[in-house]
Parts: sequence; structure tokens; C-alpha cells
Amino acid sequence: MKDILQKITATATAKFGANYAEARAQQLAKTMFILKEERVEAAKQGIESGVAIRVLVNGAWGFASVGSLDSSILEEAVSDACRMAKLVSQRLKTPIKLASAPTVEDHVHAKPKKNPHSIAMEDKIKTALVINTASLGFDSRIKSCGLDYMDLMGTNFFVNSEGTSIEQDKLYVWARITASAQAEGTFTFSREEIGSTAGYELFDDQPPEELGQKVAQRAIEQINAKPPKGGKAPVVLGPNVVGVFVHEAFGHLAEADLALSGGLLDSNMGKKIGSDLVTFYDDGTLEGAFGAFKYDDEGVASHKTLLIKDGIVSGLMHNRETAQKFNTQPTGNARAEDFRVEPIIRMRCTYMAPKDQTLEELLEGIKDGYYFKSFRGGQASLDGTFQVGIQEGYEIRNGEIQAPVRNASISGNTLETLHMVDGVGKDFTIDPGRCGKGQTAFICDGGPHIRVSEVIVGGSA
Amino acid sequence: MAVLEKNFLISLAEDAVKSALKLGASEAEAYVYDGQATNIGIELGQISKTHRIIDRGIGIRVTINKAIGFAYTNIIGDPQAIKDAAAQALSAAKASKSDPDWYSLPQNNPYPKTQDTFDQKIVDLSPEDLVKIASTLLDTASEVDKRVFPIEGGVGSGYAANAIANSNGIAAFDRGTITECSLATLAKDTNSTTPVCFEFDASRNHQLDPLRVGKEAAKLAISALKSKPVETQTAKVILTQLALQDLFAYTLMIAIKADSVQRNQSPLKDKIGMQVASENLNIYDDGLYPGGLRTAAFDGEGVPQQKTKIIEKGILQNFIYDNYAAKKDNKESTGNAARAEYLSTPSISTSNFHIIPGNKTPQQLLAEVEEGFIIYYLQGAHSSNPISGEFSVVANPCWKIKNGEITHPCRAIMLAGNIFELLKNITIVGANERQMGSIVAPWILAEGMKIIGK
Repeated sequence: MKDILQKITATATAKFGANYAEARAQQLAKTMFILKEERVEAAKQGIESGVAIRVLVNGAWGFASVGSLDSSILEEAVSDACRMAKLVSQRLKTPIKLASAPTVEDHVHAKPKKNPHSIAMEDKIKTALVINTASLGFDSRIKSCGLDYMDLMGTNFFVNSEGTSIEQDKLYVWARITASAQAEGTFTFSREEIGSTAGYELFDDQPPEELGQKVAQRAIEQINAKPPKGGKAPVVLGPNVVGVFVHEAFGHLAEADLALSGGLLDSNMGKKIGSDLVTFYDDGTLEGAFGAFKYDDEGVASHKTLLIKDGIVSGLMHNRETAQKFNTQPTGNARAEDFRVEPIIRMRCTYMAPKDQTLEELLEGIKDGYYFKSFRGGQASLDGTFQVGIQEGYEIRNGEIQAPVRNASISGNTLETLHMVDGVGKDFTIDPGRCGKGQTAFICDGGPHIRVSEVIVGGSA
Repeated sequence: MAVLEKNFLISLAEDAVKSALKLGASEAEAYVYDGQATNIGIELGQISKTHRIIDRGIGIRVTINKAIGFAYTNIIGDPQAIKDAAAQALSAAKASKSDPDWYSLPQNNPYPKTQDTFDQKIVDLSPEDLVKIASTLLDTASEVDKRVFPIEGGVGSGYAANAIANSNGIAAFDRGTITECSLATLAKDTNSTTPVCFEFDASRNHQLDPLRVGKEAAKLAISALKSKPVETQTAKVILTQLALQDLFAYTLMIAIKADSVQRNQSPLKDKIGMQVASENLNIYDDGLYPGGLRTAAFDGEGVPQQKTKIIEKGILQNFIYDNYAAKKDNKESTGNAARAEYLSTPSISTSNFHIIPGNKTPQQLLAEVEEGFIIYYLQGAHSSNPISGEFSVVANPCWKIKNGEITHPCRAIMLAGNIFELLKNITIVGANERQMGSIVAPWILAEGMKIIGK
């Protein structure tokens, strides 16, 4: 494979005038199934294999993707990519350049304790059925439950015209578990995602019965929950919500491509935009975490990147192109969902560093507020407006967690809200998730419990 | 673009079905996809990247004793790879569990003629043609105002063909084209940045209007400058198409799926024939809408697409079905089985969700609002409760309306409520219909919306 890819990059530079060329090949096998109320909707297996070619010609990018290793098809693809890049380069005001990156030759092996592909599909379905059964059996008001399972194994090959050559195994195991409940005309919904890059041992860490019960229990609790009051309130956020808050309220703004697009951070580097308690990282090196990998899709080693330290903006997430613009090092954040698309800057595992408080201490002194424990979706905008949907939340009255609230969300502006973080816990949890930015990326995020003195709570009451 | 021949794609599908039957499948279906796209990308104010993709593959679905298996491969040039995929689909079915509700794969039925879904001119577009359109788009936006920054966008052309065959005699082919251009902008002045503003055009024929897209994307960003905070209140709201699509996609468009209804996940269960929305609301799911972005002769399992009445004068008329859910209810499929190309099994989805326009122009609609808001985009619509229809989202950008005039942009406000309440509070449906992803809709005016501000 390495030879084929080297031939492509050589053709691009020698024959078609590329200043830089890279070729990525992917050979993947996936297993998937969907369960709905203990019924298997379909058991699925798939094979995907293809090549992505990316070239820089006179400062413009050309990209071509084909699902083939046939040499004439690859030659046509590399010719197309170079020709089109040359065509658009004619109007460029600012030619694209790349920050230098160390040349790497490496072979990264996946070492799962339990290889998902050596476990029979029947057994995976059996495990999933246990989860479904546990949800349905939890309470008669549970009306439906679902489970999407996916595992993926294979190899990514990366070669560039600078001499880098990497063979890297890919392994993901993921499941999304849902349950809905209904009583007296009220409908509720609960979901949970689990995921790992370690192996199928994921299901040993999280016993299936407990998972099924946990999702069902949340749906049941919601039945008697009230909508929250809309307006400003102090909140305590659990690690699951903190992760998404860090991801949406800060993470996207710290993606260097979005910072350059007019986001808030370009002009705030080195400035204090949050309280002393605010320290965030984006870390690609946490072994087994859903967002972890050794090399990104530009062949750059994944780093642990400090984004904000004690409230001061300290770094951004870069690919080679943005690192050059900021005159810094690439951080290993260039990720492509598959061979059909080009790598773009994506988060890996984004989290807030813990401090020293207990949950009780964080709750203390809140007369009238909310404890938001688990999220459902979230979205950022470049102007710093963030939104995080909440699937599990409670009222706080006089420092005590009280009755559940349903379908809340929180919003605010990043530059104001980070100053309002006035308590950070000593606990620490990370959860897997998926992020959409045109492409889907497997990520994780998390942190400790925190207190925010004021956010806007979206509620219909 | 070099595209694969109709007969070749159909024979690939038929051969895969034969392979699967020979290996012992009770039923088999094969879906072959040939997709190609070219895109010229705008990034950070300049045209700086190009993207070209050829994506082909086959997905094979089989049943054995009512257990369903599926396998796909993107290696279609090698007959052995397809045979292997058929064998994998069988092994998946064997690992699966019988589904007593499984009826059968769909039967062969005559297909309707579709209008304006294919244009050879799009297939013939050269990268040079696309660059010209992208230049017009970018130049137009830049000329509107210096404070506008075009963040990203582009121009693309795409071709997709699919062939489907099954063991009940279905053997069909359809193809379509699409061309689109879009621009995301923001505006900056000394101390404020607007939210991202967005305009686009998409068409199955070669008739893009980059001038309008460039100009509107820029004008929108300028008009979003200098936003002011808003008090918490209950108000009239005009939802433009993008906001409407976001809100409906994660709530109403899920609640009308027969699968949601059968699984007790839809508040619309048992509501056929009942008033579920205001009398002003008429909605069709129209798989044959001329030039519709989701118009095709047949759906993902080879069932003819059709026009299905969903809501008439506020009364719920029908749900949408694939073959499986239809047979469970002793009905016929409405042709709403969608597929993620060759990569997935069919699942129920809306086609062109058509909100029938009324007769008020945007000006007349605004004139109905003494005090209220007009919302262009929503942040966080995907965090809505897909089952209860409750939402709690951010409207950004959004403008204040006073005495029928748009007065100024508002700082991001939150909007909270329930879609099934909102449907009842739609007092006026506008006349300005346009296609936006999965919906075809005008602006709508809803009353009594809960707005959470400063």
C-alpha cells in the first residue's frame, strides 16, 4: 500500500506541479445493528476502502477521493486534484502555506484486550438485548427502547511528499442507548452513549443491565418533572454537561480555522476571558478515550493542548495550515471522517481541569437555581453564543437538590459566562460523544462539577 | 463526469440478488449507487480549495426466516467482492433474530414520471464553470459592504444514480443532478461580531443565482450588527424557512413517521382525523414535487414515491410509511424509505415536506406584527425532545419587529415551547415559498411564543 501511495504523491509533485502532496488510504470493516424493543431491525456488516489525495498547487488545495486502488483511476484522480487546484490558485490573494512538521515513519498497532471482530455478531446482539430487556423491565411506563451499535476496525495509511509514512490501526466501539416513557399524556425521552478506542472490553466496564436501567430510570424520572422557569439563574453543572459546555462554549472558538473566521479568540490570545478557576485542555493522548489517536490525518502526532489556563487564552487547536498562519506548531487536530473528505480541525478529548471543591460546597449558598446533570445536544456560534440542551436536571433550593425539571437548555455568551465560573469540583469524568462540523468526529469531553453564577435557562414555565 | 451506464448498474444489482438467493437467502435486495460531485470551496474570503469525489457501492439486504441481514461494499468493480458482500449479508441475517412482523420485500409497481430531477448541463459543468460561479458569489458579497467577511461557502455540482433489484422482480434505475452554491458571512465592526449569517441556492437544474446569494448573505450580516438585548416576554414570531426546518426536523417530522407511532413514541398516535394544528396549516409529504431536492421515481427500497397528505386545514390525515411499517398496519408504503446511499438499510424519512403557502407576502406578514420577532436561524434545535416535541433553543440571528417594520437585531434570545402547541398557534402562513433542504415552505407567523431574554 505504501508503494502505491508514494507513487501517487510522486506523480503529483513530479508530473503535475504540486508543491505538496499527501495520500491517505483506508481499509475498514464495520459491524452495526439496530435494536428496537428487543427486535433486531437489521444486522449489518460493511467494507469500505478508498484513497484520498490532497495536493497544494501554487498555494491552493486540490482534493480527490476515489473508492479504488486501480492505478489508472488513481492517476486520473491525482491529475484532477492538481488541475483544479491550479485553476483556483489563479485568483488567490493569500496563498496557503504549511507549517513544518517532523517527518515520521511509524506503524501504530491497536491492542484491544477484546478484539471486537473476534466476537461473534450473535454475542454482540445478545449483550445488546440484555440492555434492551433491562430498560423495558425497569418500569411498565417505559414504552420503547432502542440501541444502535457500531464497531469499526481497519487501517489508515498516510504518505506525504515530505517523506512521512504512517500505518495506523483504527478501532472504535460505540453504542447509543435510548428509552422513552409515557404516562398521563406526558412523553419523555432519555439517551446515553458509550464509546471506546480500546476494545470490546467497554462492555465489561459498563455492565449492560446497569446501562439499560440507567437510561430507563432517567425517562421515568422525567414524567413528573416540570419545565424550568425561563431566565437567568445560578447553576451547578455535572461533568457530562461541563464537557459539552467546554466543547460548545469554548472548544469550537479555539479551533484555529474558526478563530480565523472571525471567532472571538483570534483577538483574545493571551488575554483573560474567564475566572481564575478556568483551565481547559484538548487532549488527543488519553489512551482508549473515544477521541484519542496517535497521528492525525496530516501525519502530525496528537498532542495534549492547553487552551486556556487560569482564565487566560493560551493556545488554539491547529492543522498545518493554521499553525503556519499563527506562526506556531500544528497540534495534531486535523481529522477526516473517512477517505471521502479532507481533514479539518476537530476536537479530540476536551475537558476542564478539576480543582478542589465537593458537590455539596458547590451547591451551598444557591438559594434558587438548577443542577444540570446530563445533556442532550448543543451548538456554538462564532459570536460566542452557546446553547446546551439538558436531558436531566433538578431544581436547587437553599443548597439542596430538589425536584426534577425537563427539557431545559442553557445559553449565554462565552466571554461573559467563563467569568462567572465561581466554583470547580475535585471530581473528574469524561464521556464519549460525536461532533458535527460538516463531518462527524468521534470525540470525548468532560471535567468536574462546576458552579456558574449566572446563565440563561431556556424554560417554558 | 464519466458516469456508469444504466444497464450496467441494474445488472450489478440483479447479479447480487441472484448470488444471495443462491447462497440460501429467502429474499434479497441490492441497491447500487454511483455518486460523483465536484466542489469549489471558499474559505476565509477567497476561493482556495477544490474537492472532487467519486463514491460507488452496493448494499445487499437479505432475509432468512424473517431475520434481516445487510452488508455493503464500495468495491463494485470486482464480482468476487460483491459475492462476498452477499455472503456477509447472509451471515448477518443468521446472527440476527427473526422478526415476526416482517412481511416481505416490496412488490414491483409502476413508477411515476418525475419532473426536473436531471439536467445534463450539470453533468457537463467544468471546474472552470464552477469557479466562475464562485467568483461571482464572492465578488458580489464583498462589494456590498467592507465590514462583511465571507467565512466559507462554495459552489458544487453533483450527480447520483441508483439501481435497485429485489427477489420480487423489482429492477429499476433512476438518476438525478443537483447544483448548489452557498455563502456564510459575518460582519464585524469595532466592538461586535455578528452571528454567522447564511444564504444558499440549490437546484436540480442548472439555474443557480450566485448574485442573489452573495448579496443576501452580505446584507443579512450587515443587518445583524449592533444587536440589543431583549426582555423576557410572550410574543408573535415569524419563523423563516431555515428556522422552521430546524424546528420541524427534530420534532414534527419525526412524529409523523409510522415507526414512531407504532413504537408509542409519537404524540400524534391515535390523532388521525383530529385537529392537531391551526386551520391555516396544510402539509404534504411530496416525493414527486417538481424539481424537489428529494424528488425521485422510487424510494430506497424501490417503492414508487408519491404525494401524501399529512395535515389538511389543521387536521391530521396520514403518517408516512416504508414497506415494513405499512404491512404492520395493513397498509401500503407511502414511498418514504430513505437510505444513506449504499451504506445503510432503508429507514422512514420525509421526502419534500411541503408546507402549502398562503397568500400573504413577507411585507403583509410583517404588517400583522405590532410587536414581535423574526427569526432566521436556531441554535440547538437538535437538542429538542424528539418524542414530546419540547424545544428550548437559541434564536440567533433574530430581529425585532415593531409596527410591521424590522427595527433592529436582537442579542441571542432563547425560545422555549412545544412544537404541538406551536402548530396550533400558527395564525398566518406566508406566500414566499422556497426549498430548504428537506422542506418546501414559506415564512409562518406564530403567536404566544415564549421568549427568554435578559
